[in-house]
Amino acid sequence: MKVSFNELQGLSRKAFIGIGFAEGHADDAADMVTWMESYDLSGLEALNKGLEHLIETNPDTLPEILYQDGDLAVVDGHNLSVLRASNLALELAFAKARSRGLSVIKIRRCRQRQLIMGYLARLSARGMNVTAFWRNAHRPLTEQVVGFRANSTVPSIRVYAVEEVPEENAPNDGITLIMANHVDLLPTMRSDYRYDLLAKHEESDLLAVRERAMSSGIEVAPELWLRLKELAQITLVESFDASRLGAGPAE
Amino acid sequence: MIDAVMQAARMAPSLRPAGLVMDLQRLGTLVPSRLSFARSLMRQMGRQRWRITQQHFGLDADGYGEVIYRVQTPHGRYHVVIFSQPLEDEQRTDRVIANAWDVTFGLVEGDVEDSLFTTLAENIPLQEAGRQHPRLLVISRANKSLRNFEIFVQALAQGLQPPAQAIQEVGYLYRTTAVYGNGKFGIADYGRLRNNPDFRYPFSAQMTAVYVLRQFSIDQAEHLARVQRPDTAVALAPELRRYLGIGNSTGLGMAPFLIRHPQLISQWIHAREQALATAKAQVPSEASRQRLLSLCIRARQYLIETDIEDVDQAARNAIAVTELGDILPWIEQVTLEEGLWQQLADWSEAALSVDTQELLNTLLIELYPESVDMLEDAMAVEEKLELVPDMPLVQLKQVIETQFDWALAEDFDAPEARYWFWYQSIEKEEPRLGVRGVDPGEAKELPLAVAPRVQRSYRAITAFLEDNPKALTIDFLLAQPKFMECIRRIQTMAAHTYGEIQANLWHQDMKPMHLLRTKLSFLGANRFDPRGDRWVRVTFFQGAPLIDELNTEPTNLYAFDDWSYALAPSEGSEQPQKKESCESLL
Repeated sequence: MKVSFNELQGLSRKAFIGIGFAEGHADDAADMVTWMESYDLSGLEALNKGLEHLIETNPDTLPEILYQDGDLAVVDGHNLSVLRASNLALELAFAKARSRGLSVIKIRRCRQRQLIMGYLARLSARGMNVTAFWRNAHRPLTEQVVGFRANSTVPSIRVYAVEEVPEENAPNDGITLIMANHVDLLPTMRSDYRYDLLAKHEESDLLAVRERAMSSGIEVAPELWLRLKELAQITLVESFDASRLGAGPAE
Repeated sequence: MIDAVMQAARMAPSLRPAGLVMDLQRLGTLVPSRLSFARSLMRQMGRQRWRITQQHFGLDADGYGEVIYRVQTPHGRYHVVIFSQPLEDEQRTDRVIANAWDVTFGLVEGDVEDSLFTTLAENIPLQEAGRQHPRLLVISRANKSLRNFEIFVQALAQGLQPPAQAIQEVGYLYRTTAVYGNGKFGIADYGRLRNNPDFRYPFSAQMTAVYVLRQFSIDQAEHLARVQRPDTAVALAPELRRYLGIGNSTGLGMAPFLIRHPQLISQWIHAREQALATAKAQVPSEASRQRLLSLCIRARQYLIETDIEDVDQAARNAIAVTELGDILPWIEQVTLEEGLWQQLADWSEAALSVDTQELLNTLLIELYPESVDMLEDAMAVEEKLELVPDMPLVQLKQVIETQFDWALAEDFDAPEARYWFWYQSIEKEEPRLGVRGVDPGEAKELPLAVAPRVQRSYRAITAFLEDNPKALTIDFLLAQPKFMECIRRIQTMAAHTYGEIQANLWHQDMKPMHLLRTKLSFLGANRFDPRGDRWVRVTFFQGAPLIDELNTEPTNLYAFDDWSYALAPSEGSEQPQKKESCESLL
């Protein structure tokens, strides 16, 4: 089924509140999912995969700062979705970059990492150059780099498979972010090691996709839409004769 | 252009303080001005030579079926598709929980090919329950004023004109009960309109659809009259057509908009305040004096002629009538000098009711279109509440103390200060008010009241600063993330003078009606007739030029634009086809 951008954003927001997100954080999570989907970057697919985990997560679990100094921070995401764990960590990186010119943040142990792009777009719109990097553990190993130029809301994305890498034993479920006030951080592929470029999204391609989404709507699986509606309904209050008076007397 | 306008706004002298302007009771007295969206739209239509024509008229003998109007602009072509259907009396309700209406309609971008029409016919009548097409820019529905409709059809069928008194009592044949835009139920997102030169002003697509419905109401009534008595039926006299508006019934559903779009509200109010400051700074001429006199007389007569059922509103209108009468001799006699309009505004602020003050302000704005109308370009804004994570927390505390003092002043321990809570019902997500501690639903309260959230944030910040005096905002939020939404709003709105309505929306004495009126006045609604304090009937486009007048490409755009405070047609001004009216039908 087709829905509008605003509809998807609104329903997602209510669903996140239904799940237990606080106001503001629900807005951000909804913006992140809808932003991804409007660029056809599988935001809804990612949400769908992680939805039950999101619902089961204790809403009081918060990401934790393990280390920080003037321009560096390491955050433990406690296996939370980036929908829950990333917005304030990214704001911390933003504050450090504003203060020191460049900042690096590592968010360890987090899920649905690709959804972080939606919030990066927000930061780049505030004049920050941003690059995010993460590696997917499945075989072949793939790496993803997403870069935003300052004041652009459209990323440049590279996804590539790598083979010549040392054996890795520790789980790699983190995400590394670099922010710079004045330096362009867009990804450019250059390596002596072999890699296979799997996907390359340029800004212009993504803008065209977004234009299509705005003019003809966004495709949503009916089952997911229904599930989001069920979650959103948690925020609504049952109706009865007396409560109808709460909107004013009948005519 | 917008930058220039806003630059001018920043440099403008003597904008009124937010503490005065954003008082909820004062906002609840606003009336439409020349910056209201209905007025802006009519000016744009006339300036750009829009043409609106009937493309298809498919009503049966009972007035049911479909009608399509084409809206041709210099930039694009649109269609308003209207479906009229039978409706049992017991189904006719203006509440959002209704499931059927007398008419449903939509504004479509582009042509309406057969396949699209089929889709529209299947879904528009269902409104919220339908899956609407993304080429629809607006969907809406309306119910008849049964009494007026009957009077009009019977009179016209008999070759008579309906009495103007009928319009004085109810200003319309149809009243809309919700007008949806911005992606609702699958229709086009506002993002698609943002760069559309035809609909770049807020709500202009919605206003266009409503304006065309006014024409439909006339066309349908005349059609039914012709069906009833083809031998004697006449068309509605042009003066009465002009005097006829289109109604709207609005409830609490509109209230959250005012709170959730503070940047937009700030933009609107700022433009109005800038217009007022500009007007007050002008040196009056004899021509502007005469113009103000004539506007005051017209507005006063409008209030006299407008029958309002609500006793309180009628009393407020009566006071405004008296006070406007008191002002007239002053305007007539004082010496024209620099600062005169400021003197008038100061006098009214000191001595007159708030209703009269704001009405007078609106009339002052009316005097200087050449200085004011460009502000309509500043009514839209890209909305985004953003955090300033590197702001020192102590500075954030200072910002709250400086700009949200009104929120800190409220004593939320007092029972009356936390009386109401807002919630959303499962019935069509209708916003409702419940009494705290009495009605169920408090756990699912909508966070519409800004003041208690600001106060809670302030207390938490103050406590955090005791242990962390050099903390940044982000340090506080990482420790207490639940405050993020409120702090983001505080930091963003600190740069917007007029965004926050300075009221406690929990307070027992809070009148939601004031919130509704604030937005309705900017849309261009007049003739406010509250039904209790939670919903209101208003009228749009009363006195506005007709589609026929628009299509003849008006050359005098000043006259075309001068339609506010429509007065009842005087006797003898009707068309020669039939002179007598039928008071007996009342």
